[in-house]
Amino acid sequence: MNVELTASLSPAVFVPAPSAFDLDVAFGITVAIKVAFILALFLVVPLVVGYMEHKAMGRLQHRRGPVAAGPFGTLQLVADGIKFIQKEDVIPAAADRKVFALAPGLALVPAILVFLVLPFGPGVWAVDLELGLFYALAISSVSVLGVMMGGWASANKFSLIGGLRAGAQLIAYELPLILAAIAVAVQAGTLSLVGIVEAQATFTLPGTDLNLWFVFPQILGFVIFFLASLAELSRPPFDMPIADSELVFGYMTEYTGIKFAMYLLTEYAGMVSMSALMVVLYLGGWQLLPGVGLPGCEGAGGMFDCGWLGAIGGVVITLAKILILTFIMVWARVAYPRLREDQLQRLSWLVLVPLSLINLAVIAIAKVVVF
Amino acid sequence: MTGHDVVFLLVALTTAGAGIMTVTSKNLVHAALFLALTLTGSAAVFLVLAADFVALAQLLVNVGAVAVLFLFGLMLTRAPIGREALDGQHRGLAIGVSGGLFVLLSVLIIGAFGGEGVREVTGPGVNEIGIALFAQWVLPFEVLSMLLLAALIGAIVLARRSPGESGTEAEPTHIELSGDPSTEAERRPELTAGGER
Amino acid sequence: MAATSPPGVGLLKGLGVTIKHLFKRPSTQMYPNERPDLPPRTRGVIALLEENCTVCMLCARECPDWCIYIDSHKETVPPAKEGGRARTRNMLDRFAIDFSLCMYCGICVEVCPFDALWWSPEFEYAEYDMDKLLHEKEKLREWADTVPPPPPLDEGALPVPEVAAAIDKVVKERELEEAKAEQAARDAELAQAAPAAAPAAAAAKAEEIHVEAGQIDQETFDALIAQGKSERMARAKAKAAYVKKEKARILAEQEAAAAAAPAAPKAEEIHVEAGQIDQETFDALIAEGKSERMARAKAKAAWVKKEKARIRAEQEAAAPAAEVAPAEVAPAEAAAVEAPPAAPAAEAAPARKLSDVHVEGSGEIDQETFDALIAEGKSERIARAKAKAAWIKKRKQEQLDAEGDA
Repeated sequence: MNVELTASLSPAVFVPAPSAFDLDVAFGITVAIKVAFILALFLVVPLVVGYMEHKAMGRLQHRRGPVAAGPFGTLQLVADGIKFIQKEDVIPAAADRKVFALAPGLALVPAILVFLVLPFGPGVWAVDLELGLFYALAISSVSVLGVMMGGWASANKFSLIGGLRAGAQLIAYELPLILAAIAVAVQAGTLSLVGIVEAQATFTLPGTDLNLWFVFPQILGFVIFFLASLAELSRPPFDMPIADSELVFGYMTEYTGIKFAMYLLTEYAGMVSMSALMVVLYLGGWQLLPGVGLPGCEGAGGMFDCGWLGAIGGVVITLAKILILTFIMVWARVAYPRLREDQLQRLSWLVLVPLSLINLAVIAIAKVVVF
Repeated sequence: MTGHDVVFLLVALTTAGAGIMTVTSKNLVHAALFLALTLTGSAAVFLVLAADFVALAQLLVNVGAVAVLFLFGLMLTRAPIGREALDGQHRGLAIGVSGGLFVLLSVLIIGAFGGEGVREVTGPGVNEIGIALFAQWVLPFEVLSMLLLAALIGAIVLARRSPGESGTEAEPTHIELSGDPSTEAERRPELTAGGER
Repeated sequence: MAATSPPGVGLLKGLGVTIKHLFKRPSTQMYPNERPDLPPRTRGVIALLEENCTVCMLCARECPDWCIYIDSHKETVPPAKEGGRARTRNMLDRFAIDFSLCMYCGICVEVCPFDALWWSPEFEYAEYDMDKLLHEKEKLREWADTVPPPPPLDEGALPVPEVAAAIDKVVKERELEEAKAEQAARDAELAQAAPAAAPAAAAAKAEEIHVEAGQIDQETFDALIAQGKSERMARAKAKAAYVKKEKARILAEQEAAAAAAPAAPKAEEIHVEAGQIDQETFDALIAEGKSERMARAKAKAAWVKKEKARIRAEQEAAAPAAEVAPAEVAPAEAAAVEAPPAAPAAEAAPARKLSDVHVEGSGEIDQETFDALIAEGKSERIARAKAKAAWIKKRKQEQLDAEGDA
């Protein structure tokens, strides 16, 4: 699926229009390396983020977090993974077995597919789609189907309510999320994620030479995007679909073992991909500071056409930014209580949607008049 | 047969099969899920036809929003948890309508493009789509966007419905222990216009 | 959030509060690796101070789970005086608590009128088998030694009435003693010329004689019973009388010994201060991988043992030469007196209850007992607890003796 999608999506494939049977070997190897790279990122970065969440939550709550598994508890999530694999796979008697089994996978696959377009450094990306931003938002919106399926198939009222809440939440927060992202696309003049990074590297405050990230003109959009992505991911304080104090564990109530782990992995991968999107859209991608280029880079704003050193430096900077953003997500989780369902809907429809419309209008006008 | 043909065939068969399952499935939620699969399949067909933008729009709107809304509505209203058999009573009518539609579309498409041979296509870039949308088709686009904007504003207005109008308004609970306002409405007077819905 | 503060301030405050904790030291106690720091009133396990129990059955009756099992029999105490009435006493045969039933409500501890039941912070008694959670009185008694001293009162709190009375008593006694000491000093000045150096030294030593109040003076007891005093009271006073008499007897013996043999005073020195360690033992233990603390304690015990053996050998060598019998009595006496009094001392407790004599024990331990127990191979925790108990008991005993003397 990955290979096909990559092959059919990449514009480079369409021009010579090679057949699926006569792909040349070099191309196949490239695709295999890219897929391996994406899978490795998909499996490792969420683990690191999960460990960071364990530790950060512990320290923020005056605890230590995991300490026993591995040095400083670093292997805690590995141990958890092994434990999940060993668990019995319980399926409720009244459950719809096929849908129940399919749901976690359906939630997980889009989370992997989003990683395809995320640029992690100069030249470090699987595909640079012309529609990258659109692709990321469209694919990530499919995940909720898996959540709703799981909620319904569990034949459990808590699960069902959790799935319903997830659906309602997604519909409510997709709108501000996309509207905020559109404002960035308008300012950058492109939907390509790499193109947006490039646009930020070359964007200067009108009338000066001051290089700026999009977060500065669009701080409102950034806040909206951040809140909406928290809600999209069902992260506290927007975790009504899970709401362990009301719904047991929401749509995950009946899940055990590896399927439960898949839902969890979806959540952490979602944190990573949403943070990566925020880094790309608002925080200058792999730029250390506004106006500071990477060593050994010659392209726009000293950010592209880099050697190994620049590429590795860029990846490190991107991952550090992702880690900081996920830390803020964890911080918000620790600091804030869960919203009520009606407060959640009200926040989206009455605050975020109007604000994001205003933001879009302002940016569009500014794009024509000022920038 | 090129690789494209193979992929197209697979996608088309999946989509058609899902479509048939959508109408024959006894379980309402299964039907909705097959509908989602059908829509995804049609997005994949667009993808094979090098129409990336339409494919993604299809995915975002029809799968990510419409199918979810479908499921949401089903679960909220009927909530057929487990194996519940449901069946429509207008089977013949449905077959007639869909068969007629199929014949009509087939005739139209063959009549219009029947003489043309198969050729390689490259999708139009986003730039071309944007220019076409805002130059040649600006009027329909604006009409549509006015419609959507009206719907959006309508949604906000509905959400801001003042207390008492909907008839489902509950008395806010007053806990008078201290001077602090205890209800949302008291705490945030600027929101008193909005109700609980 | 106050109604006046602008929206968003509360949100930022929340973030501020949590981020502050990120830079503080976490309060986690690394339990399996470290002992948790438990507050003195921790409800870990219910301990029984068997000596205080009068088999009144209040605890068993009040227990909501019926998890306390008590068996007892009556024993007839012979009449104190000829023609007196024989009295019966309840003797505790069995006291067991089933901790698989116990819900740790603490009603038994609350209700015990004789302070026989205590909360101990000991909590590591989990078992793989439910039956093993039924603990008999021996085990419960062991836990009683782990009961920490009560936490100090809050600043400015009124003292407990009993404690206030005890303090008053002690203060008065001290004044009395000071007066006596002054008197003695004056006497000594007068008698400076008198050649009473050796007996005086022996006498001075005698004051330090410590007598275990393990027995009662039957005469006194009978007399008091005859006077109509309660048995409890009589027992206590009889004990005090016994201690007094015993002291007098030992003093007399010592004086005799001092007069007869110049070697005797040296024999009394058989109590060896455990100030040094036996380097050999210490090295051996460290080499075995024991902790330094443990090794040091054991080495001390070893040193004391060796030293005592050495002194005893010297004395034995000296005794035949002096050919004086009391000289051998004295060391034996002294050894008995100085022996770690953990268990026997406890027997003294019921005479005057724990609450009557209040001793502030803020962690001091009786080093001797501690070393002895460590040398016996007890765990450090138990040894420490017992040593603490021993220290408190010693202090109490001293106080009791002082009262008895007074």
